[in-house]
Amino acid sequence: MKVALLAFAVALCGLALVSAQAPPARTSPSPVRPTPDPAATDISVVRVQKNVYMLASRAGNVAVQIGDDGVLLVDTGTAPMAQKLFAAIRTLSNKPIHTIINTHLHADHTGGNLALVKLGAGGPQPPRVMGHENTYNRMVAAAVEANANTPAAALPMDAFFTPTRDFFLNGEAIVLHHVPAAHTDGDTLVHFRGSDVVATGDVFNPDIYPVIDIANGGTISGTIVALNRVLEITVPAKYQEGGTYVVPGHGRICDEAEVVEYRDMVTIIRDRVADLVKKGLTLDQVKAAKPSRDYDGDYGTTSGFWTTEMFVEAVYRTINATK
Amino acid sequence: MKVRHAIGIAVAFLSTAAPANAQVDFTGQWAPLYHEDTIERIPGPELGDYTGLPLSDAGRMRADSWDADRISVVQEYQCRPHSSDYSLRGLAPLRIWADYDPATQRIIAFHTHIGAYENKRTIYLDGRPHPNEYEPHTFQGFSTGVWEGNMLTVTTTHLKENYLRRNGVPRSSKATFTEHWVLHRNYLTITHVVYDPVILTEPLVRSQSWFLDPGQRAGLFPCEYLPEVPAEAGTVPHYLPGTNPWLKEFAEWYALPFEAIRGGAETLYPEYRAKMGAYKPKDKCERFCNCTGFGDCLSPTGGR
Amino acid sequence: MRRNNLHGVMAALLMTASIGVAAQGPPGGRGAQPPRTPQAAAPVDFTGYWVSVVTEDWRWRMVTPARGDFAGVPLNAAARKLGQSWDPAKDEAEGNQCKAYGAAGIMRVPGRLHITWQDDTTLKIDTDQGTQTRLLHFGGKPAPGIKPSWQGYSSANWEGPQRGSAPPDFTPIALNPREGTRGRSLEVVTTNLRAGYLRKNGVPYSENTVLREYFDLSNERTGDTWFVVTTIVEDPTHLTQPFVTSTNFKKQADASGFAPIPCSVR
Repeated sequence: MKVALLAFAVALCGLALVSAQAPPARTSPSPVRPTPDPAATDISVVRVQKNVYMLASRAGNVAVQIGDDGVLLVDTGTAPMAQKLFAAIRTLSNKPIHTIINTHLHADHTGGNLALVKLGAGGPQPPRVMGHENTYNRMVAAAVEANANTPAAALPMDAFFTPTRDFFLNGEAIVLHHVPAAHTDGDTLVHFRGSDVVATGDVFNPDIYPVIDIANGGTISGTIVALNRVLEITVPAKYQEGGTYVVPGHGRICDEAEVVEYRDMVTIIRDRVADLVKKGLTLDQVKAAKPSRDYDGDYGTTSGFWTTEMFVEAVYRTINATK
Repeated sequence: MKVRHAIGIAVAFLSTAAPANAQVDFTGQWAPLYHEDTIERIPGPELGDYTGLPLSDAGRMRADSWDADRISVVQEYQCRPHSSDYSLRGLAPLRIWADYDPATQRIIAFHTHIGAYENKRTIYLDGRPHPNEYEPHTFQGFSTGVWEGNMLTVTTTHLKENYLRRNGVPRSSKATFTEHWVLHRNYLTITHVVYDPVILTEPLVRSQSWFLDPGQRAGLFPCEYLPEVPAEAGTVPHYLPGTNPWLKEFAEWYALPFEAIRGGAETLYPEYRAKMGAYKPKDKCERFCNCTGFGDCLSPTGGR
Repeated sequence: MRRNNLHGVMAALLMTASIGVAAQGPPGGRGAQPPRTPQAAAPVDFTGYWVSVVTEDWRWRMVTPARGDFAGVPLNAAARKLGQSWDPAKDEAEGNQCKAYGAAGIMRVPGRLHITWQDDTTLKIDTDQGTQTRLLHFGGKPAPGIKPSWQGYSSANWEGPQRGSAPPDFTPIALNPREGTRGRSLEVVTTNLRAGYLRKNGVPYSENTVLREYFDLSNERTGDTWFVVTTIVEDPTHLTQPFVTSTNFKKQADASGFAPIPCSVR
């Protein structure tokens, strides 16, 4: 009964918050990455640098920081993968999960929040779940819209609304950077200062065009600003390699050099589309001009949840959006 | 007793006498020979020169959009090294050394150091697998080698994006490449085959040679990145499609048909000469006529 | 007495090891079997049709460069002067259309090759460009007084163990067989050449040239077969150092495209 009342209270609070800051009207559906079958999805445990590891799978990446204070996770993957994820975490540390940071709202990054708690990953106390306020608001709004009874443990209740937030854990400073209106309007970069690692969430994925979730506040301009912010944080070692490592939302571990290539690609395609818009071309004409065709072999796809055409359309639609 | 001891020693030597397969010792200091593609490899390739490259349309468009200012304006490119495949095209002395398995006295790894950017690479010969898809890509990639008689065949994966030619023709991070190392007298020839499904329509096969030079010593290659040109943060110099003003210059200098310098697999085969039609070169050489080494390649009209 | 026995045993074992080395030498060795012919002993197969794929020196091979374009070739001053005087019309008038198709330059001319065994000691290379024929003689030497020709006289062998710069008659003594015994390269040395051109724009090589070539075969993951020929031109008359190039050929399924044409000065 008490739990039910608490959940109801949380839902009411969430609704109040949502009412106070109504999210922008949806103009197009939010691109949803399909959840791979967990039975077919193995998790690779890859050491990034010092205290930080990456748990990688077809569903996406989870960055893990270990130490005496407990385990910190950047994102939690999908709900069906939680058991495998937990087993992978346990190969690195037996400590409870102390903190979860959600880089943004999408289920392939937050779906494991509650599932891990139910598995007892947090120990006697549930982990604090952090994220930007916009992420929290959108997750609550989505729950309300779906008429779902979302427990508090599933939400980034420890939300922040400032440009940055920092704390100390496992012997190093951790700085959260909000990058507005990028992949969504609630994206957070997580910088492990001592381990010299940045986890970017879906602001940066080395194998696919930037997914711009317009429905949840994403824009092309904000994406470019966010990528430049990553480049301000990263510092390479000798000859532009190594140094700060980057854990993307999906795909391989990268470093500054690869973020630069990606930033350049996004900027160039944005510039091309902007030029066509300036010349008065319609959306269909811009698509027909194929402004990204020299990069399609690297980042594009003609099928799936995020196609080249969808990317070009998102650039076209948000090209004049301010950050 | 001593006789039995001596027999035991000799038998121990003989028991290691038959190697499972041949190995060749490539170690040493190797001086690069620039008798092929000299101008491309020393002073540098001209803008718009895509000759000899089986470029895809995507590769060509990427090259056309490249603005040389990017190397200086974008600080992160200032110290970007040549990748292991492009490094083989030279601009630097090569040093090779080996690791031996103490139990078998077989070579289990070669290491290379190329003077430009002090690039170091390890070629593993111990049969280890390549890393998985989530491990980082590097400029040198991850290399393993197998012996084919007296030839070492090397496979490299996990490469960062780099270039096929340093006038803007890229090489994607989806590429892998194969090398074949052969040693003849004091000459090392390495043939390398680049497989790039994005930039190329067929594998790019090139080869280059080095000469054993025990007196060679590689120098240091200091590089520090810093703001060189005032520019707004995040500026990425590039040419919008159809606006690059330099693409025809190379063809004009050498009186070549413009279509011929645009690369593409068709242009690599002998029958393309018939398609090009009658070609009349300029009356005399005007640029880099005697370019054979650093001294006479410094300017287009330099040299003897 | 015991010391003598010890030395005797060691000497016997060393001799056994050396004999073991010799046994891995040229085909035949000890025993009743006759030596295999070069064709039978070929470690790799170069026969078939091949096409040059011009990914290097495109501007100097696919088209005739301008007079005086010597980039990459280590010519001495006298040779550069000679090259500057290149006159294709004169070559044509004098019947020297094939000067750029001699052995020292022919492999760089974009074209197709047909390689066959003329007999079991002679490998034949026919080129469609210039309709030239090169005969690679295994175990052969040029006859005294042989007349220089565009293709000269080529002596071939299957390259043996790596010797570095050791003299030809050097026989190492070792307890272990030498590495590189399973060589798969074709080594060709060509002399008795007529003066010709390294490139079609009159870059000269002299009749004193010694041409060394090494042919190496590879099979690629695409299923294609290639060979690279490393060509070392040693010309004390015109070059300041050996001129080294490496040229790549891809195997063709058949004779398609093999279209012999005569030499041309253009």
